[in-house]
Amino acid sequence: MTLSGYEALFFWIFGLAAIFAGLLTVMARNAVHSALFLISSLVSVAALFVLAHAEFIAGVQILVYVGGVMVLFLFVIMLVNVGAEERGREEIFNNQRQVTAALIFCLLLVAGVLYAVNRGYSGLQILHPKPEVPAEQQVDPSQPKTATGSSQATKNSEGVGNNLYRYGSLPFEIASVLLLVAIIGSVMLARTLKQEASADDVDPETLQEELARDPELVNLEPRIE
Amino acid sequence: MYKYIWLVPLLPLIGAAINGLLGRKFRFSERLIGGIAVGTVALSFLISVAAVYSYGFGGNAQWPNPYLTSQDGFSFNWIPSGAVAINQGAHIASGEAPRFALLNIEWSYQLDPLSSVFMLIVSGVGLCIFVFATGYMHGETGFYRFFAYMGLFMFAMLVLVMGSNFVMMFVGWEGVGLCSYLLIGYYFDRQEAANASRKAFITNRIGDFGFALAIFGVIATFGSAQYVDVFNQAKTFPIELLGHWGILSWIALGLFVGACGKSAQLPLHVWLPDAMAGPTPVSALIHAATMVTAGLYMVTRTNVIFQHSQTMLLVVALVGAATAIFAATIGITQNDIKKVLAYSTVSQLGFMFMACGVGAFAIGIFHVMTHAFFKALMFLGAGSVIHGMHHEQDMRRMGGLKKYMPYTYWTFLAGWLAICGIIPFSGFWSKDEILWKAASTTQIPLGWLVWLVGTIAATCTAFYMTRLVAMTFWGRERFLEAPAGGEADEAHAAAYDKGLTTHDAMRPSAGDRPRHEPGEHVGPVHEDVAAHVATHGHGGHEHGAHMPHESPPSMWVPLAVLALLATIGGFVGIGPAFRSVTGTEHPGGRLHIVTWLDPIIWNPVTREFNATEGAGHEAPATETAHPAPVEAAATVYGNTGFNLAHSVENTTHSEPATEWIFILISLVVAGIGMLLGGLFYVWRPQLAGIWTQRLRPLYVASYNKYWVDEFYGWAITRRTMDAARAVYSFDAKVVDGIVNGVAWLSRLFSRIVGGIDKYFVDGIVNAIAAFIMRLMSPLFRAAQTGFTQNYALVMVLGLMLAVAIFFASDIATAFR
Amino acid sequence: MLSFFNPVLALLQQESERGQVSQMVKAAAHPDLSKFLVIGALLFIIGVAGVLTRRNIIVIFMSIELILNAANLNFIAFSRYLREVGSVNALAGQIFTVFVIVVAAAEAAIGLGIVIALYRNKETIWVDEIDLLKW
Repeated sequence: MTLSGYEALFFWIFGLAAIFAGLLTVMARNAVHSALFLISSLVSVAALFVLAHAEFIAGVQILVYVGGVMVLFLFVIMLVNVGAEERGREEIFNNQRQVTAALIFCLLLVAGVLYAVNRGYSGLQILHPKPEVPAEQQVDPSQPKTATGSSQATKNSEGVGNNLYRYGSLPFEIASVLLLVAIIGSVMLARTLKQEASADDVDPETLQEELARDPELVNLEPRIE
Repeated sequence: MYKYIWLVPLLPLIGAAINGLLGRKFRFSERLIGGIAVGTVALSFLISVAAVYSYGFGGNAQWPNPYLTSQDGFSFNWIPSGAVAINQGAHIASGEAPRFALLNIEWSYQLDPLSSVFMLIVSGVGLCIFVFATGYMHGETGFYRFFAYMGLFMFAMLVLVMGSNFVMMFVGWEGVGLCSYLLIGYYFDRQEAANASRKAFITNRIGDFGFALAIFGVIATFGSAQYVDVFNQAKTFPIELLGHWGILSWIALGLFVGACGKSAQLPLHVWLPDAMAGPTPVSALIHAATMVTAGLYMVTRTNVIFQHSQTMLLVVALVGAATAIFAATIGITQNDIKKVLAYSTVSQLGFMFMACGVGAFAIGIFHVMTHAFFKALMFLGAGSVIHGMHHEQDMRRMGGLKKYMPYTYWTFLAGWLAICGIIPFSGFWSKDEILWKAASTTQIPLGWLVWLVGTIAATCTAFYMTRLVAMTFWGRERFLEAPAGGEADEAHAAAYDKGLTTHDAMRPSAGDRPRHEPGEHVGPVHEDVAAHVATHGHGGHEHGAHMPHESPPSMWVPLAVLALLATIGGFVGIGPAFRSVTGTEHPGGRLHIVTWLDPIIWNPVTREFNATEGAGHEAPATETAHPAPVEAAATVYGNTGFNLAHSVENTTHSEPATEWIFILISLVVAGIGMLLGGLFYVWRPQLAGIWTQRLRPLYVASYNKYWVDEFYGWAITRRTMDAARAVYSFDAKVVDGIVNGVAWLSRLFSRIVGGIDKYFVDGIVNAIAAFIMRLMSPLFRAAQTGFTQNYALVMVLGLMLAVAIFFASDIATAFR
Repeated sequence: MLSFFNPVLALLQQESERGQVSQMVKAAAHPDLSKFLVIGALLFIIGVAGVLTRRNIIVIFMSIELILNAANLNFIAFSRYLREVGSVNALAGQIFTVFVIVVAAAEAAIGLGIVIALYRNKETIWVDEIDLLKW
């Protein structure tokens, strides 16, 4: 799968962008900045997906991951993080020792991962010698052209759809159940005491504690008719 | 008829069982109980007479062979034992392998000359005594119990004399001992009677121990307990002369120890005088006529064994002689009428053993027979006197009863003359023969000493018996002079007059006043005792207003029968001294006691039992055989030293004259004794007191029975109790102390271990735990930071570690 | 020891007959599967570093998303490679990526819900202030 020409160029651009954005995600002071940098990292990775001929997945990534998850992240940042800035310069990194140890381990990990990738790749190359596949053959002439008219559309979505709904239909259903559970769980987790009390879902001890702390909550006592 | 001898012991047993088991439950009347008891004994006697007659004189006479009921099937295999190794005997000396015998102890009766004599004595004299007892024990609350025990005694005694083996004899032996205990202790609420019965049983038991050992020895030596087997084997054994002590001497020793216990010889004689605490018929039957003669029966039955041991014969003779003189000297000073008769019994038993010791076993049995007659007679007479004297037993308060109790008096006289040995009464024949045989014996040395002691004892016998008769029947009527009894009686009388105590007759027992026999009815049956007492009153002379009276016929008829027997019973044993008168050595053929008993007496010269197998040729054979064995025995038993008879004969050069001389001597000494008795107690009564003072030490010694009882009490009884106490204290202090000490040690040890565990071990554990905790706790605590990212870091580290391990080989090659 | 880094250096180059630098250039001009994997690995490591070092809980979550993303990249790269190699189920990587995205979304939702609940109770988003499990 050797890339060449513009693909190689874009590979390098988006690859380095992804790494750089990721690095900044971890190092940004402001959480919103972190989220934005993560978004850019994700988009870069989506571009890499495209380069890897996984267009559908790139679209899914942008739509779901960036458009859904990161927006959620931003909402939550708005909910919880606003106070941090007002408190002045807060430490963003943990104590010295933790960071040092983490960096050391990460460096070791880097070394180990690179070594492993190399060894694995060389093994793969023995297993699968490089096929002589010209890049043009990747293009399927039967496919309609794309909107710009400069390239053929690929059959990636079709393939993904076929695979997903044929071989992965059970995991698919399970994934949907998982999402359902996640929805319910997140709703339940994020309820306030007020909401819980009105739904009569509070532990009486906890209610007493809360009442002691906040007498106004008496109004929330559920009416037992 | 002799086939039915097995009924003879059985009938009294049945009578005893009926009386004993049903007598109280169904409240038998005295007539019924007495009737059953006397009836069974009478039947038993009749069957015995018929059996003995048919055995000895009938058409199918078995004499001289013994007849065993197992020959006709009237026996059973009582103790089927297994094989017994015979470890003693001639074959051991010769080095052969031990023989084995099948020891089966059967229950069968043996009718032979010896047992027939005893059967007749026991059942006949017993019958007389039973009849007497029905009158004597009248009014007793334990009437049924008395006759139950008496019947049981008859059974045991008959088993003893009729048994065909040693084990049956032992059964009977123990049975009569038991009945003696039961009957002496008949008045069980009296301390004196209880003590006496216990003493009798224990002293008997000491003898039984020796007897049991002897039986073991018999079984071990001969492999059987049956008489016929044992004696047929024993006669082949060599004779053990003086100084040679072999197995037969051991057996004879054990047997003699048993005989001493049962027949009250020195040193086991102590129980017989105390046994007078029982009712008088018991004293008569058991302690005069039958039980005490069981020892004689045993010695005569085993005369084979005794004659094989010269040492034992000597021992028997000397012990008998010593007992005779010992008891005779005590009897002189006793004041209780029954005690005098008791010591007289002991003395006469000594005579019988003297006879056996010198080898005259048949004469010993003859004396048993005559003694049974006259001693039972005198005991019953004494009972009659006591009965007539209203419980009075002290002779010092009797006297002149001749005219009040004529039947008793005249019959008693017969007994008195018999025991003194006056011709032609029965006692003369037997006693004289004993003394002659003692003087002329060639089987043991010191025969002359035995004769001398016997003669002196005979003198004493005559003296004290005359004293008894004189103090009881002749002379002053002393019972009129003093209040009945001494201080105790005065107190009793005074108390009665004050109304503090009841009359003896109205009480079931009068406590422990030895002179009286409580429960004994006052004279003839008084329907209204209270009225009788009221009229007669109490205290002072009025107490003596109870004049002695004659006994009822149930009591004097047996006296008459026994008196008749005491008079003429000796004619079955007319000795060879009278051959000039009778013409033969032993007149009467088989009826002569010596002839009759010959088949069971072993002759050491011929080494066979005397009679021949065939019947009918005994008389001439024994006639001619008689002189020879006397000299031949001398060679068998070696030189036995000075022989009095021979030396007298050498002087007179005539055997009959020698014999007459000895007869004369014994008559003379008897006469001297009687005259002295008359002098001291009839003509010059004050002499008794004077001589008592002059011979004070001797008198005191004799009166106190030579302090034998006190000595036994100190030496044996108290030492045994001391030993018991010592053993007890050892057990309580040492053994229990050890046990408790072990417990204490265990507790101490457990406390120590507990302490070690608590302080040391736990201390170590706690210290280690504390140390580890102090060491490790901060470390582990430090890891719980609560900081999630620390945990994440650790996870990453772990991941890298896992990966490194997974690729360990690769990493190693990379680094190489 | 230096030989350890040889494979590292070798990643920057692919088989080539010419010199090292030209090899490196050639390798750079034609990125291969290994480059994808390296980028994915680096993103992963950056994400791990972010999880371990940052104090802000939201940033930690975002680092986790980075990690997941790196994994997705890995899947896609292999999916492409295997399609070229001729594996039967080459699209399995992409399918897997879909599911990873789904799970990441669910997990983000739940996780942020927890963060909100935590914020309501502890009034803080700094991780080192949430140390209830400390001894």
